[in-house]
Amino acid sequence: MVNSSPQSKPTDEELMDAYVDGDEAAFRLLFERYAPILLRLTRRHLRDEELAEEIVQQTFFRLHGARNDFQRGSKLRPWIMTIAMNLVREHWRRSKRRKMTSLETETQAAQEADFMPLELRQRSELLHVALEKLPTSQREVVELHWFQERPYAEVAEIVGTSEGAVRVRAHRAYATLKQLLVLEIRGDE
Amino acid sequence: MTSGSNRPDAGLGERLRELDALETPGNGELIDRMFAEMKARCDRSDHSIRGFLRSRSTLARRLIVLGVFSMLAIVGWFAFPLVDDQARTMQWTASLVTFSVLLLIAMFMVTRPVHLPALPHWQSVCLVCIALGASVVAAFWPSGAAEAATQAPTGSIMAGVCMGAGLLLGIPVYALLRLVDRGNALGSIVAAAAAGLAGNFVLKAHCSVPGTSHELLGHASVAVLFVVGLGLVHRFVPGK
Repeated sequence: MVNSSPQSKPTDEELMDAYVDGDEAAFRLLFERYAPILLRLTRRHLRDEELAEEIVQQTFFRLHGARNDFQRGSKLRPWIMTIAMNLVREHWRRSKRRKMTSLETETQAAQEADFMPLELRQRSELLHVALEKLPTSQREVVELHWFQERPYAEVAEIVGTSEGAVRVRAHRAYATLKQLLVLEIRGDE
Repeated sequence: MTSGSNRPDAGLGERLRELDALETPGNGELIDRMFAEMKARCDRSDHSIRGFLRSRSTLARRLIVLGVFSMLAIVGWFAFPLVDDQARTMQWTASLVTFSVLLLIAMFMVTRPVHLPALPHWQSVCLVCIALGASVVAAFWPSGAAEAATQAPTGSIMAGVCMGAGLLLGIPVYALLRLVDRGNALGSIVAAAAAGLAGNFVLKAHCSVPGTSHELLGHASVAVLFVVGLGLVHRFVPGK
Protein backbone atom coordinates (compact mmCIF):
# COMPACT_ATOMS: atom_id res chain seq x y z
CA MET A 1 0.00 0.00 0.00
CA VAL A 2 1.62 3.20 -1.10
CA ASN A 3 0.35 6.41 0.40
CA SER A 4 -0.65 8.95 -2.20
CA SER A 5 -0.47 12.41 -0.77
CA PRO A 6 -2.31 15.44 -2.11
CA GLN A 7 -0.27 17.56 -4.48
CA SER A 8 -0.30 20.53 -2.15
CA LYS A 9 1.55 18.64 0.57
CA PRO A 10 5.31 19.03 0.47
CA THR A 11 7.26 15.81 0.16
CA ASP A 12 9.49 14.54 2.95
CA GLU A 13 12.54 15.51 0.95
CA GLU A 14 11.23 19.05 0.37
CA LEU A 15 10.63 19.38 4.09
CA MET A 16 14.09 18.08 4.90
CA ASP A 17 15.67 20.45 2.38
CA ALA A 18 13.75 23.31 3.99
CA TYR A 19 14.91 22.20 7.43
CA VAL A 20 18.54 22.04 6.32
CA ASP A 21 18.05 25.60 5.07
CA GLY A 22 16.88 26.61 8.56
CA ASP A 23 13.09 26.21 8.42
CA GLU A 24 12.19 24.95 11.92
CA ALA A 25 8.53 24.43 11.00
CA ALA A 26 9.57 21.86 8.42
CA PHE A 27 11.22 19.81 11.17
CA ARG A 28 8.02 19.90 13.15
CA LEU A 29 6.05 18.67 10.13
CA LEU A 30 8.53 15.86 9.58
CA PHE A 31 8.18 14.88 13.23
CA GLU A 32 4.41 14.85 12.94
CA ARG A 33 4.66 12.63 9.88
CA TYR A 34 7.18 10.15 11.12
CA ALA A 35 6.78 10.03 14.90
CA PRO A 36 3.54 7.97 14.76
CA ILE A 37 5.11 5.53 12.28
CA LEU A 38 8.23 5.20 14.40
CA LEU A 39 6.20 4.87 17.59
CA ARG A 40 4.39 1.90 16.12
CA LEU A 41 7.67 0.38 15.03
CA THR A 42 9.42 0.86 18.35
CA ARG A 43 6.43 -0.23 20.43
CA ARG A 44 6.23 -3.43 18.42
CA HIS A 45 9.93 -4.10 18.94
CA LEU A 46 10.38 -2.94 22.51
CA ARG A 47 6.93 -3.22 24.10
CA ASP A 48 7.90 -0.46 26.46
CA GLU A 49 6.11 2.82 25.97
CA GLU A 50 8.73 5.01 27.62
CA LEU A 51 11.59 3.39 25.76
CA ALA A 52 9.68 3.57 22.48
CA GLU A 53 9.18 7.32 22.94
CA GLU A 54 12.83 7.77 23.88
CA ILE A 55 14.02 5.98 20.75
CA VAL A 56 11.72 8.02 18.53
CA GLN A 57 13.07 11.23 20.09
CA GLN A 58 16.62 9.96 19.78
CA THR A 59 16.01 9.14 16.10
CA PHE A 60 15.02 12.75 15.42
CA PHE A 61 17.83 14.05 17.59
CA ARG A 62 20.27 12.11 15.44
CA LEU A 63 18.52 13.24 12.28
CA HIS A 64 18.97 16.80 13.50
CA GLY A 65 22.68 16.16 14.07
CA ALA A 66 23.09 14.53 10.68
CA ARG A 67 21.05 17.08 8.72
CA ASN A 68 24.10 18.50 6.99
CA ASP A 69 24.79 15.08 5.48
CA PHE A 70 21.42 15.07 3.73
CA GLN A 71 21.91 15.51 0.02
CA ARG A 72 19.27 16.95 -2.21
CA GLY A 73 17.71 14.25 -4.32
CA SER A 74 18.18 11.44 -1.84
CA LYS A 75 15.23 9.77 -0.10
CA LEU A 76 14.51 10.65 3.50
CA ARG A 77 12.51 7.62 4.62
CA PRO A 78 15.41 5.13 4.42
CA TRP A 79 17.48 7.62 6.43
CA ILE A 80 14.98 7.80 9.25
CA MET A 81 14.28 4.09 9.21
CA THR A 82 17.99 3.23 9.29
CA ILE A 83 18.61 5.54 12.24
CA ALA A 84 15.65 4.08 14.13
CA MET A 85 16.58 0.47 13.35
CA ASN A 86 20.18 1.11 14.40
CA LEU A 87 18.92 2.46 17.72
CA VAL A 88 16.55 -0.45 18.29
CA ARG A 89 19.31 -2.95 17.42
CA GLU A 90 21.72 -1.18 19.75
CA HIS A 91 19.16 -1.25 22.51
CA TRP A 92 18.77 -5.02 22.16
CA ARG A 93 22.50 -5.51 22.18
CA ARG A 94 22.93 -3.41 25.27
CA SER A 95 20.12 -4.64 27.36
CA LYS A 96 20.03 -8.23 26.09
CA ARG A 97 16.39 -8.16 26.94
CA ARG A 98 15.40 -9.93 23.78
CA LYS A 99 14.20 -13.10 25.41
CA MET A 100 12.88 -11.41 28.47
CA THR A 101 9.17 -10.83 28.56
CA SER A 102 8.69 -8.32 31.28
CA LEU A 103 5.43 -8.46 33.15
CA GLU A 104 5.58 -4.73 33.51
CA THR A 105 5.79 -4.07 29.79
CA GLU A 106 3.15 -6.63 29.02
CA THR A 107 0.83 -4.88 31.41
CA GLN A 108 1.64 -1.59 29.79
CA ALA A 109 0.91 -2.96 26.33
CA ALA A 110 -2.29 -4.51 27.55
CA GLN A 111 -3.42 -1.28 29.14
CA GLU A 112 -3.04 0.53 25.86
CA ALA A 113 -5.09 -2.06 24.08
CA ASP A 114 -7.88 -2.10 26.62
CA PHE A 115 -10.37 -0.80 24.13
CA MET A 116 -9.76 -3.78 21.82
CA PRO A 117 -11.84 -6.97 22.03
CA LEU A 118 -10.33 -9.63 24.29
CA GLU A 119 -9.98 -12.15 21.45
CA LEU A 120 -8.10 -9.68 19.30
CA ARG A 121 -5.81 -8.82 22.17
CA GLN A 122 -5.06 -12.51 22.74
CA ARG A 123 -4.28 -13.02 19.08
CA SER A 124 -2.08 -9.98 19.07
CA GLU A 125 -0.29 -11.26 22.14
CA LEU A 126 0.34 -14.57 20.38
CA LEU A 127 1.75 -12.78 17.39
CA HIS A 128 3.91 -10.55 19.57
CA VAL A 129 5.37 -13.60 21.26
CA ALA A 130 5.95 -15.26 17.87
CA LEU A 131 7.66 -12.12 16.54
CA GLU A 132 9.88 -11.99 19.59
CA LYS A 133 11.05 -15.52 18.88
CA LEU A 134 12.46 -14.47 15.51
CA PRO A 135 16.13 -13.51 15.27
CA THR A 136 16.61 -9.74 15.19
CA SER A 137 17.77 -9.82 11.58
CA GLN A 138 14.53 -11.53 10.46
CA ARG A 139 12.34 -9.40 12.67
CA GLU A 140 13.73 -6.25 11.15
CA VAL A 141 12.86 -7.52 7.70
CA VAL A 142 9.28 -8.39 8.72
CA GLU A 143 8.96 -4.97 10.33
CA LEU A 144 10.18 -3.07 7.30
CA HIS A 145 8.75 -5.26 4.57
CA TRP A 146 5.36 -6.06 6.00
CA PHE A 147 4.50 -3.41 8.56
CA GLN A 148 6.26 -0.50 6.88
CA GLU A 149 5.55 -1.89 3.38
CA ARG A 150 8.98 -1.06 2.04
CA PRO A 151 10.23 -2.82 -1.09
CA TYR A 152 13.02 -5.37 -0.66
CA ALA A 153 15.61 -3.08 -2.24
CA GLU A 154 14.90 -0.39 0.35
CA VAL A 155 14.85 -2.90 3.21
CA ALA A 156 18.27 -4.10 2.05
CA GLU A 157 19.53 -0.52 2.06
CA ILE A 158 18.23 0.07 5.58
CA VAL A 159 19.57 -3.12 7.16
CA GLY A 160 22.83 -2.97 5.20
CA THR A 161 22.74 -6.21 3.26
CA SER A 162 21.91 -7.50 -0.23
CA GLU A 163 18.39 -7.77 -1.59
CA GLY A 164 18.86 -11.52 -1.97
CA ALA A 165 19.76 -11.88 1.70
CA VAL A 166 16.70 -9.85 2.65
CA ARG A 167 14.45 -12.11 0.56
CA VAL A 168 15.91 -15.17 2.25
CA ARG A 169 15.40 -13.64 5.70
CA ALA A 170 11.82 -12.72 4.83
CA HIS A 171 11.09 -16.21 3.54
CA ARG A 172 12.50 -17.79 6.70
CA ALA A 173 10.74 -15.31 8.95
CA TYR A 174 7.33 -15.85 7.38
CA ALA A 175 7.83 -19.62 7.41
CA THR A 176 8.74 -19.51 11.11
CA LEU A 177 5.87 -17.20 11.96
CA LYS A 178 3.44 -19.40 10.08
CA GLN A 179 4.74 -22.44 11.90
CA LEU A 180 4.42 -20.72 15.26
CA LEU A 181 0.95 -19.50 14.55
CA VAL A 182 -0.40 -22.46 12.63
CA LEU A 183 -2.37 -23.85 15.54
CA GLU A 184 -3.88 -20.52 16.33
CA ILE A 185 -4.78 -19.93 12.66
CA ARG A 186 -6.32 -23.41 12.31
CA GLY A 187 -8.22 -22.94 15.51
CA ASP A 188 -9.66 -19.76 14.13
CA GLU A 189 -10.88 -21.47 10.99
CA MET B 1 12.20 -20.29 -3.27
CA THR B 2 9.77 -18.35 -5.36
CA SER B 3 9.24 -14.68 -5.06
CA GLY B 4 5.72 -15.32 -3.85
CA SER B 5 7.01 -17.23 -0.86
CA ASN B 6 8.52 -14.03 0.48
CA ARG B 7 5.10 -12.77 1.41
CA PRO B 8 3.07 -14.19 4.26
CA ASP B 9 -0.04 -16.12 3.28
CA ALA B 10 -3.55 -14.85 3.88
CA GLY B 11 -3.91 -16.21 7.43
CA LEU B 12 -0.62 -14.88 8.63
CA GLY B 13 -1.12 -11.61 6.77
CA GLU B 14 -4.40 -11.12 8.56
CA ARG B 15 -2.73 -11.63 11.95
CA LEU B 16 0.00 -9.17 11.08
CA ARG B 17 -2.59 -6.60 10.08
CA GLU B 18 -4.44 -7.17 13.35
CA LEU B 19 -1.27 -6.57 15.29
CA ASP B 20 -0.63 -3.43 13.33
CA ALA B 21 -4.17 -2.19 13.96
CA LEU B 22 -3.74 -2.80 17.67
CA GLU B 23 -0.80 -0.44 17.87
CA THR B 24 -2.32 2.93 18.59
CA PRO B 25 -0.46 5.75 16.93
CA GLY B 26 0.54 8.65 19.11
CA ASN B 27 -2.15 11.25 19.73
CA GLY B 28 -1.60 14.95 19.17
CA GLU B 29 -0.81 15.68 22.79
CA LEU B 30 1.81 12.97 22.97
CA ILE B 31 3.42 14.07 19.72
CA ASP B 32 3.50 17.68 20.95
CA ARG B 33 5.17 16.69 24.20
CA MET B 34 7.69 14.44 22.47
CA PHE B 35 8.55 17.12 19.94
CA ALA B 36 9.00 19.76 22.63
CA GLU B 37 11.36 17.52 24.62
CA MET B 38 13.32 16.51 21.55
CA LYS B 39 13.58 20.10 20.29
CA ALA B 40 14.83 21.26 23.68
CA ARG B 41 17.50 18.57 23.53
CA CYS B 42 18.48 19.67 20.01
CA ASP B 43 18.70 23.32 21.12
CA ARG B 44 20.87 22.44 24.11
CA SER B 45 23.12 20.36 21.88
CA ASP B 46 23.43 23.16 19.31
CA HIS B 47 24.90 25.42 21.98
CA SER B 48 27.69 23.00 22.89
CA ILE B 49 30.99 22.30 21.14
CA ARG B 50 29.99 18.67 20.92
CA GLY B 51 26.71 19.51 19.21
CA PHE B 52 28.44 21.91 16.86
CA LEU B 53 31.03 19.33 15.79
CA ARG B 54 28.53 16.50 15.49
CA SER B 55 26.23 18.52 13.28
CA ARG B 56 28.98 19.20 10.73
CA SER B 57 28.76 17.09 7.60
CA THR B 58 30.67 13.81 7.65
CA LEU B 59 33.24 15.21 5.22
CA ALA B 60 33.76 18.25 7.44
CA ARG B 61 34.08 16.12 10.57
CA ARG B 62 36.68 13.92 8.90
CA LEU B 63 38.61 16.92 7.64
CA ILE B 64 38.56 18.46 11.13
CA VAL B 65 39.94 15.26 12.67
CA LEU B 66 42.54 14.83 9.92
CA GLY B 67 43.52 18.48 10.25
CA VAL B 68 44.02 18.23 14.01
CA PHE B 69 45.93 14.94 13.70
CA SER B 70 48.15 16.33 10.95
CA MET B 71 48.83 19.52 12.88
CA LEU B 72 49.79 17.58 16.02
CA ALA B 73 51.98 15.23 13.97
CA ILE B 74 53.79 18.06 12.17
CA VAL B 75 54.34 20.10 15.33
CA GLY B 76 55.55 17.01 17.21
CA TRP B 77 57.76 15.87 14.36
CA PHE B 78 59.68 19.12 14.18
CA ALA B 79 59.43 20.35 17.76
CA PHE B 80 60.84 17.26 19.43
CA PRO B 81 63.89 15.26 18.41
CA LEU B 82 63.22 12.04 16.54
CA VAL B 83 65.04 8.84 17.43
CA ASP B 84 68.59 8.84 16.10
CA ASP B 85 69.43 7.65 12.59
CA GLN B 86 70.51 4.21 13.75
CA ALA B 87 67.13 3.54 15.25
CA ARG B 88 65.24 4.50 12.09
CA THR B 89 65.00 1.01 10.72
CA MET B 90 62.48 -0.60 8.41
CA GLN B 91 60.66 -1.95 11.45
CA TRP B 92 60.50 1.53 12.93
CA THR B 93 59.01 2.91 9.70
CA ALA B 94 56.63 -0.04 9.38
CA SER B 95 55.42 0.50 12.95
CA LEU B 96 54.72 4.18 12.33
CA VAL B 97 52.90 3.44 9.05
CA THR B 98 50.84 0.72 10.75
CA PHE B 99 49.85 3.02 13.61
CA SER B 100 48.88 5.75 11.12
CA VAL B 101 46.77 3.41 8.99
CA LEU B 102 44.98 1.98 12.03
CA LEU B 103 44.40 5.48 13.37
CA LEU B 104 42.88 6.45 10.04
CA ILE B 105 40.59 3.41 10.02
CA ALA B 106 39.49 4.19 13.59
CA MET B 107 38.73 7.77 12.56
CA PHE B 108 36.59 6.55 9.64
CA MET B 109 34.70 4.14 11.90
CA VAL B 110 34.02 6.75 14.56
CA THR B 111 32.84 9.36 12.06
CA ARG B 112 30.59 6.93 10.16
CA PRO B 113 27.29 8.65 9.30
CA VAL B 114 24.36 7.51 11.43
CA HIS B 115 22.02 7.18 8.47
CA LEU B 116 24.05 4.19 7.26
CA PRO B 117 23.49 0.75 8.79
CA ALA B 118 25.65 0.38 11.89
CA LEU B 119 28.87 -1.56 11.43
CA PRO B 120 28.84 -5.04 12.93
CA HIS B 121 30.39 -5.13 16.39
CA TRP B 122 33.03 -7.63 15.35
CA GLN B 123 34.62 -5.03 13.08
CA SER B 124 35.15 -2.64 15.97
CA VAL B 125 36.40 -5.46 18.20
CA CYS B 126 38.76 -6.56 15.42
CA LEU B 127 40.21 -3.07 15.07
CA VAL B 128 40.77 -2.80 18.81
CA CYS B 129 42.50 -6.20 18.93
CA ILE B 130 44.70 -5.33 15.94
CA ALA B 131 45.61 -1.99 17.53
CA LEU B 132 46.63 -3.72 20.77
CA GLY B 133 48.48 -6.42 18.83
CA ALA B 134 50.34 -3.85 16.74
CA SER B 135 51.44 -1.96 19.86
CA VAL B 136 52.80 -5.15 21.42
CA VAL B 137 54.48 -6.35 18.20
CA ALA B 138 56.11 -2.94 17.73
CA ALA B 139 57.63 -3.29 21.20
CA PHE B 140 59.39 -6.45 20.05
CA TRP B 141 60.92 -4.61 17.10
CA PRO B 142 63.51 -2.39 18.71
CA SER B 143 66.55 -1.39 16.68
CA GLY B 144 69.84 -3.27 16.85
CA ALA B 145 71.44 -0.59 18.95
CA ALA B 146 68.51 -0.64 21.26
CA GLU B 147 68.68 -4.40 21.67
CA ALA B 148 72.24 -4.06 22.88
CA ALA B 149 71.06 -1.91 25.70
CA THR B 150 67.95 -3.88 26.53
CA GLN B 151 69.13 -4.58 30.00
CA ALA B 152 69.89 -0.94 30.75
CA PRO B 153 68.34 -0.15 34.18
CA THR B 154 67.12 3.24 33.02
CA GLY B 155 64.71 1.54 30.59
CA SER B 156 62.26 0.46 33.26
CA ILE B 157 62.46 3.74 35.13
CA MET B 158 61.81 5.70 31.98
CA ALA B 159 58.87 3.44 31.14
CA GLY B 160 56.74 5.32 33.65
CA VAL B 161 57.62 8.62 32.03
CA CYS B 162 56.80 7.30 28.57
CA MET B 163 53.54 5.80 29.79
CA GLY B 164 52.52 9.09 31.35
CA ALA B 165 53.46 11.02 28.22
CA GLY B 166 51.64 8.53 25.99
CA LEU B 167 48.50 8.71 28.09
CA LEU B 168 48.59 12.50 28.09
CA LEU B 169 49.06 12.56 24.31
CA GLY B 170 46.23 10.12 23.78
CA ILE B 171 43.67 12.08 25.80
CA PRO B 172 43.14 14.86 23.21
CA VAL B 173 42.80 12.26 20.46
CA TYR B 174 40.19 10.39 22.47
CA ALA B 175 38.36 13.61 23.31
CA LEU B 176 38.31 14.78 19.70
CA LEU B 177 37.01 11.46 18.42
CA ARG B 178 34.28 11.41 21.07
CA LEU B 179 33.29 14.94 20.15
CA VAL B 180 32.77 14.12 16.47
CA ASP B 181 31.10 10.75 17.12
CA ARG B 182 27.35 10.95 16.53
CA GLY B 183 26.67 7.87 18.62
CA ASN B 184 28.20 4.88 16.86
CA ALA B 185 28.05 1.64 18.76
CA LEU B 186 31.38 0.89 20.46
CA GLY B 187 32.62 4.31 19.33
CA SER B 188 34.11 4.84 22.77
CA ILE B 189 36.30 1.72 22.60
CA VAL B 190 37.42 2.48 19.05
CA ALA B 191 38.33 6.02 20.15
CA ALA B 192 40.25 4.54 23.09
CA ALA B 193 42.19 2.28 20.73
CA ALA B 194 42.89 5.32 18.51
CA ALA B 195 44.18 7.24 21.52
CA GLY B 196 46.47 4.34 22.37
CA LEU B 197 47.72 4.22 18.79
CA ALA B 198 48.39 7.96 18.75
CA GLY B 199 50.34 7.69 22.00
CA ASN B 200 52.33 4.77 20.61
CA PHE B 201 53.01 6.64 17.36
CA VAL B 202 54.50 9.62 19.15
CA LEU B 203 56.52 7.47 21.58
CA LYS B 204 57.84 5.28 18.77
CA ALA B 205 58.86 8.33 16.75
CA HIS B 206 60.56 10.23 19.56
CA CYS B 207 61.51 7.93 22.39
CA SER B 208 65.16 7.02 22.29
CA VAL B 209 65.17 4.83 25.37
CA PRO B 210 66.09 1.38 24.08
CA GLY B 211 64.75 -2.04 24.95
CA THR B 212 61.79 -4.33 24.47
CA SER B 213 60.89 -4.27 28.14
CA HIS B 214 60.82 -0.47 28.08
CA GLU B 215 58.59 -0.45 25.01
CA LEU B 216 56.28 -3.03 26.48
CA LEU B 217 55.98 -1.27 29.82
CA GLY B 218 56.09 2.29 28.59
CA HIS B 219 54.62 2.23 25.10
CA ALA B 220 52.35 -0.78 24.51
CA SER B 221 50.86 -0.31 27.96
CA VAL B 222 49.43 3.03 26.82
CA ALA B 223 47.14 1.31 24.31
CA VAL B 224 46.27 -1.42 26.80
CA LEU B 225 45.46 1.08 29.55
CA PHE B 226 43.28 3.19 27.26
CA VAL B 227 41.31 0.22 25.96
CA VAL B 228 40.97 -1.64 29.25
CA GLY B 229 40.38 1.50 31.33
CA LEU B 230 37.82 3.07 29.06
CA GLY B 231 36.35 -0.34 28.29
CA LEU B 232 35.64 -0.80 31.99
CA VAL B 233 34.18 2.69 32.23
CA HIS B 234 32.01 1.94 29.19
CA ARG B 235 30.98 -1.38 30.70
CA PHE B 236 30.08 -0.21 34.18
CA VAL B 237 28.97 3.37 33.63
CA PRO B 238 25.83 3.09 31.53
CA GLY B 239 25.60 5.54 28.67
CA LYS B 240 22.51 7.62 28.13
